[in-house]
Amino acid sequence: MIAPTAGAVTFLGREAAYWRLRIKGAGLLMLTLGIYRFWFATDVRRYLWSSTEIGGETLEYTGLATELLGGFLLAIAIVGPLYTTIALAALALGTTGMAIAGIGVLVLVLLSQFALYRARRYRLTRTVFRGVRFDQHGSAWRYAIYALPWWMLAIATLGLAYPWAQASLQRFKMHHTSYGDLQGSFAGSGSALFLRGLPIWLLVVGPIIFAFVALGRMVDWNALNGMMADDENNPLALLAGSAGINVFFLAAAALGASVIAAVLLYPLFAGIMLRWWISGLRFGTVTVQSHLSTAQVYRIYLRFVLFVLPFLLVVAGAGAVCAILSSALVGSSRDSMAAEFFAGAITLAIYVVIVLGASTIYQVVVTFAMWRHGAQSAELFGADALGCVRASGAPDSALGEGLADALGVGGI
Amino acid sequence: MRSASGASDAPDPAMTSTTNTPLEAGAPRGAAVYFDGTSSARNDVVVEAGASGLRILAGRRAGQGGDHVLDEWSYGELQRMSAPEGVLRLGRRGETLLARLEIRDPALAAAIEDRAETLDRGGAAERRLRRKVVGLSFAAAASLIVTAVFGLPALASRIIPFVPLAVEHKLGDAIDKNVHAALDSRHLGAGFACGSAPGETAGRAALDTLVAKLEAAADLPFPLRVEVVRRAEPNAMALPGGRIYVDDGLIAKAQTPDELAGVLAHEIGHVAHRDGTRTVLQTAGLSFLFGMMLGDFVGGGAVVIAARTVLKSSYSRRVEAAADAYSVDLMEKAGGDPHALGAILKRIVADKDQGMKLLLDHPETKDRIAAIEAVAVAGTPMPLLDAADWSALKQICAPLPVNATGNAAVH
Repeated sequence: MIAPTAGAVTFLGREAAYWRLRIKGAGLLMLTLGIYRFWFATDVRRYLWSSTEIGGETLEYTGLATELLGGFLLAIAIVGPLYTTIALAALALGTTGMAIAGIGVLVLVLLSQFALYRARRYRLTRTVFRGVRFDQHGSAWRYAIYALPWWMLAIATLGLAYPWAQASLQRFKMHHTSYGDLQGSFAGSGSALFLRGLPIWLLVVGPIIFAFVALGRMVDWNALNGMMADDENNPLALLAGSAGINVFFLAAAALGASVIAAVLLYPLFAGIMLRWWISGLRFGTVTVQSHLSTAQVYRIYLRFVLFVLPFLLVVAGAGAVCAILSSALVGSSRDSMAAEFFAGAITLAIYVVIVLGASTIYQVVVTFAMWRHGAQSAELFGADALGCVRASGAPDSALGEGLADALGVGGI
Repeated sequence: MRSASGASDAPDPAMTSTTNTPLEAGAPRGAAVYFDGTSSARNDVVVEAGASGLRILAGRRAGQGGDHVLDEWSYGELQRMSAPEGVLRLGRRGETLLARLEIRDPALAAAIEDRAETLDRGGAAERRLRRKVVGLSFAAAASLIVTAVFGLPALASRIIPFVPLAVEHKLGDAIDKNVHAALDSRHLGAGFACGSAPGETAGRAALDTLVAKLEAAADLPFPLRVEVVRRAEPNAMALPGGRIYVDDGLIAKAQTPDELAGVLAHEIGHVAHRDGTRTVLQTAGLSFLFGMMLGDFVGGGAVVIAARTVLKSSYSRRVEAAADAYSVDLMEKAGGDPHALGAILKRIVADKDQGMKLLLDHPETKDRIAAIEAVAVAGTPMPLLDAADWSALKQICAPLPVNATGNAAVH
């Protein structure tokens, strides 16, 4: 028996098995209109968790699908009346109703953050390693109130504050996370992430800002204002008139450059984020260092493109054949409602197959591979401490997962 | 109980609750890894699959070291936990401590699976359970769809009597602002409604006479507020709370007072049936069923939108058919011609292309007309307005002054 290296992280998952799991799950999701998702999510987590081996021992997911279903039904009972109240207030009370509805939307946003935090707690307390569970404490409302300004700041600064928001929120989460009696923390720095990401930000957001500034200089605002006052209401035509076709050309070029930069640089961004996050994780004296290579992340995304393009071609071909067959079959009764229903259902099914299929390919080829390479490239220091942790904590309810699901922010 | 010393390879005999129980002769045994659930210390143990349960023995190999019994698990409480391929990971059912036993030795794993029925060797019971889950999920989805098609309209009808009239009134007022703005597409402002200008008051009086006759024959939850507006479309609409808009274009198309009255009676049907409240309830129910309960998967958004659109159209067709039937009934009660609605429908919409049948919010016109004409009429109908009143009503919308319309068209 070979003694496992204490600091080694390995990933035991096999892609073929994960393909089977994902494709079967996607098919059942479609047939049950999504009701199967609780069982599907549980299967996926079980597989991913038990495929992740740290120092010779794998993680274990102990959550049950029925818990997720229960959490969802409970969440519906909370969110349903909340939606109804907001809608009725907005409708019946005029201006004060609008104010109430505004507050209601704020409550929904806070509730989403609350849900995400509680869902994380559910997953952590269902994660067992060496017979000891992980835990997360701290008030989810406090997290929600803490997270909201950070997200608003990140949006207001067009993403420039995102690194600090991430660092701060990760610190909050990890400071309230523990493995048994081993206290978690987060060492990733917002400034370091900012410096890594700044070139990406400049290349993606830069062209759009540049175009706005340039447009401001090119357009004769006085003339435009004058013409607006003369009650001509076609500013676009005026723009073209005053600054010529250049304005449109500039705007299109800036947008195009930004989109191309975003697509080409996204793998770089994903790699930076994953590396930064893994390297920042701490449990007591245990530290992690990620050696994930950018080239590897690019290979993963390139592989996704190579998988998804043939898939789209095949489905489009199959869709065309279906359309021809169905029009041949029901051609004689074109005017009947059944024929319309049939044709509509086929179109809808093809759309769902395309979207769900592309998502399945992404989950296997990208998410699964990122998990694998993220794990394999992580190096643990001081992992001996993982062998003498005392158990603590108790499992949490799945309300958070259910709320995140009902509010459409969850990842289950 | 063991301390968290972590030095697990050579457990101190003093720390284990040793009972020198004799080992069962011939019982399968093998190496395993044991976590006791109070600490993360890894214990290399020997597991012996006895007659009634597992015996977890300290010591790396069988027969070496002191064969101290660390723990004993009966077969009935064993539970298979998720683990990578090639590992049998066991826990204890109903135990708050997360003690785990990991067995990589295939022969030992097979021996344990043979003895413990609850472990579901080969996963047959798990597969059976999963098939049941899939079947039930599928049945739940089907039942929610059936609920949406038939249950929701029925449920809405049951709930409507409990919605206070004041709520529907407020709802109508709230909607009215938007509807008024949307209908007034030419931005006529004050000139949008007819009946108040000097040349129009006679027409207004005639309209009031007609409405009063219909209202007297009907039994309505709300007083009617009928208004004629300057729109070329031959159409009319009812809002929640008793407000009815009649387009100028409809009056122009009507050849007899009863044709107009037939359309009015149809709209009064919506008021009597409280269809505004009904639509709100049905829409809310649909959003709940297709949005919260169903369709929550990647690509499900399109399914939700398609299902909602098709179902809303089908609800609407039922509501419209009911309003037609109400119109026929009310016209007969008021002494007018119940078939007049069919006549004006024939003139207005019969030759229009109506697009996809699935998405129609009214039943097909030829079916509506057939249903209206199928009702036998007893007695001879009398026109609901005399010739003078009818000609006044035809002129309820006096032509707008040229400068007024010219100005209005720009803004």
